[in-house]
Amino acid sequence: MIQLERGLIWVVTRFVDGDVLNAFLRNAEHTAILIGAFIAIAGGMLGTFLLLRGMALTSDAISHTVLLGIVVAFMVMVKLGGEPDLSSPWLLLGGAVAGVGTVVLTEVVHRSGLVQQDAALGLVFPFFFALAIIFVSRYVDDVHMDTDAVMVGEIGIAWANTNSHTYGDFEEVVITPDDPRAEITRQCINCREEGISPRDPRAEFVEICTNCGVYSPAAAYQAGFTDVEPEVIFWPKSLTVTFVLMVATALFVLLFYKELKLSTFDPGLAKTLGFRPTLLLYALMTLVSLVAVGAFDAVGSILVIAFFITPAATAYLLTDRLSVMLVLSGGIGTAGAWFGYRLAQGRIFGGWDTSISASMVVMMLLFFIAAFLVSPRYGVVSGVFRRIRQKVHFEEQVLLGHIDHHTDTAEAEQELTVATLPLHVQWSPSKVRKVYGRLLRRALVGTDEAGLTYLTDKGREQIRTFL
Amino acid sequence: MTLISRSRRKDRIVLTVAGAVLLLVVPVAALAGVRFTYTLRTVTAGGLFLGAISGSIGSFAVLRKQSLLGDALSHAALPGVGIAFLIAGRQLGALLVGAAAVSLMGVWFISLVTRMTRIKQDTAMGIVLTGWFAVGIGILTFIQQRPDASQSGLDSFIFGQAAAIVRQDVQLLAVVSVVMVVILILNWKEFKLVTFDPEFAKANGYRIGVFTALILGLVVTAVVMGLQLAGVVLMVGMLIGPGIAARQWTDRLEHMVLLAGIIGAIAGSTGAIVSSLDTDLPTGPMIILVNSAVVAISLLFAPGRGVVQDLLRRRDDRKRFAGGGQG
Repeated sequence: MIQLERGLIWVVTRFVDGDVLNAFLRNAEHTAILIGAFIAIAGGMLGTFLLLRGMALTSDAISHTVLLGIVVAFMVMVKLGGEPDLSSPWLLLGGAVAGVGTVVLTEVVHRSGLVQQDAALGLVFPFFFALAIIFVSRYVDDVHMDTDAVMVGEIGIAWANTNSHTYGDFEEVVITPDDPRAEITRQCINCREEGISPRDPRAEFVEICTNCGVYSPAAAYQAGFTDVEPEVIFWPKSLTVTFVLMVATALFVLLFYKELKLSTFDPGLAKTLGFRPTLLLYALMTLVSLVAVGAFDAVGSILVIAFFITPAATAYLLTDRLSVMLVLSGGIGTAGAWFGYRLAQGRIFGGWDTSISASMVVMMLLFFIAAFLVSPRYGVVSGVFRRIRQKVHFEEQVLLGHIDHHTDTAEAEQELTVATLPLHVQWSPSKVRKVYGRLLRRALVGTDEAGLTYLTDKGREQIRTFL
Repeated sequence: MTLISRSRRKDRIVLTVAGAVLLLVVPVAALAGVRFTYTLRTVTAGGLFLGAISGSIGSFAVLRKQSLLGDALSHAALPGVGIAFLIAGRQLGALLVGAAAVSLMGVWFISLVTRMTRIKQDTAMGIVLTGWFAVGIGILTFIQQRPDASQSGLDSFIFGQAAAIVRQDVQLLAVVSVVMVVILILNWKEFKLVTFDPEFAKANGYRIGVFTALILGLVVTAVVMGLQLAGVVLMVGMLIGPGIAARQWTDRLEHMVLLAGIIGAIAGSTGAIVSSLDTDLPTGPMIILVNSAVVAISLLFAPGRGVVQDLLRRRDDRKRFAGGGQG
């Protein structure tokens, strides 16, 4: 992960000056929005497939159970003497195992034929989560795995949790005991046991070096081993994790687009054609788990579900094309992150000055409600308008059809005067007047000198397309 | 006829055993050296009532294929807790009413979205779950920024905190349990119809809307009551675990609901007692673990349906098949 981060910084510093980059990253707003956008783009793409496969709530289960994987991996690493933090790849791995384990166990319980799919999910994930909570409160004391972190994450202070990287021609400084800069002291090894003073002739000494070791360029400068002040980039850790996950997700979707599409919409055919939909499903679930773990630090285990589901559902109301839906859900999620940050700062509603990640989710909910109401194709309001439009259109066609049908026939005298129309189409006179007026204004109909209505050329054109 | 009487007899045995286990929980714990202090007595009673309520009501959620609705509801309750606190202060009754009202709004939004668009129920539940929760977090953050510190304890609605339960809460729980049992008994026939065959119920002139809403109301009440003990995440386990376990032992609705109530009560009280053995054992998760154990035992060993018996039967079939029908 550190190597990746170095590579990333190397690329970025090709384009941006180091000081500018530092200033940019130190701004809490930039970092928070970037991280939010990365999570939203990865989550939006994965969520699209989850939603279309009818597995939206699997993300709910996974986002909770990855906690168990994180905690277990954490405990193992502490036992082995490591100092894990939440962006360690081992914790990512643990989380992924737990996430996929949830899906597998749910499937096993469901396959027994005794329990519904959703009920199986509802059995497995509280169990894993309960185990995780017990482990946390029993074995993990000093971590920042406090309740707030689990619930809402710390996206607002992600900028402060950094790895420092030097760039340019600075090298690590290694101090060995032979180095002139090494500080050697003598230590008595048997004084305490024998209860003698170091001056006693029986005392035995070893020489130890107090400052030997490997120094990063920054530390070397601080310790005075070098006069060159290195230039350092302070790079937020969450940025790397979320960025890598976003790229991995995008690559996965791009490379397996055809397979994913087929196995989502027609798993039977996908299997027949030899595409191994099960394998693909577990790959998808692995990515969902990884994103859930990667996002855990920033937005916590509950709010991350919104990053999967809500933008994808919003996009689902706006388009029928899978490719468009994938792009849209990422875009909506990013917009949610952007406006959510402003909302959290109280810049949108005064007085609403609160958790950043929660505000991002609130913003996504608002976007969803907006699409729910006014989406051109599937919105509620547009549905009402569409029904009105259809009604209007239908009325016009009925009248046009009636006139067309009776023009130049024997009964035209009775059927086609403006006065007798209401009787024959069986509408109220006022309704006929209204519809007829509309047609007249659009020059689709006319009245000849005998008082009979007729169709203009345009009107005949209309009725032909309808029939 | 014999089949029915045999299944009745089996049900009676299962219920008797479960009831006996429930009665023995406290005496056995006392014999094993657990000291029932005031706190432990309160928490145990709270766990017992909550387990019984959520288990029996949860049976309906399981049968209506709405297992995860409890999860959505418990998360969606959070803004209600915050709003009620802002209006009425820290009174449990007000907080619960607020929580229930806001969860019901969530349910309404879920049904609105699923009815009016092509979005499926699970997606709508996910949206409400996270959206409402985020609003709730926003309101709680707002409350925490206020100068007075009386908001302490609101966090317990997120994670559940058994120690926060006091005697008044248990009394409230007991009253609510009795009311719920009365509602269940009075509307038993209708609930049964609405659960198993809503079309038939509708055709026979039952107002299924009313009874569906009533069942939903009971589920919301159970969820909201349980929040303080189990927290938003684990509540769904308390709600559906006992129902799923009970379903494995019996085919009759009344026995299932009763058994689920007993199993819930066993899990609630046992979990509370076990968690008192050590300071680092949180109560809600312990209840869920006991619950999960009962579910696992039921899925594996329940007579007639269990996985183990199924495997044995299949092995016998294979043997008989291999033996050419002589076995």
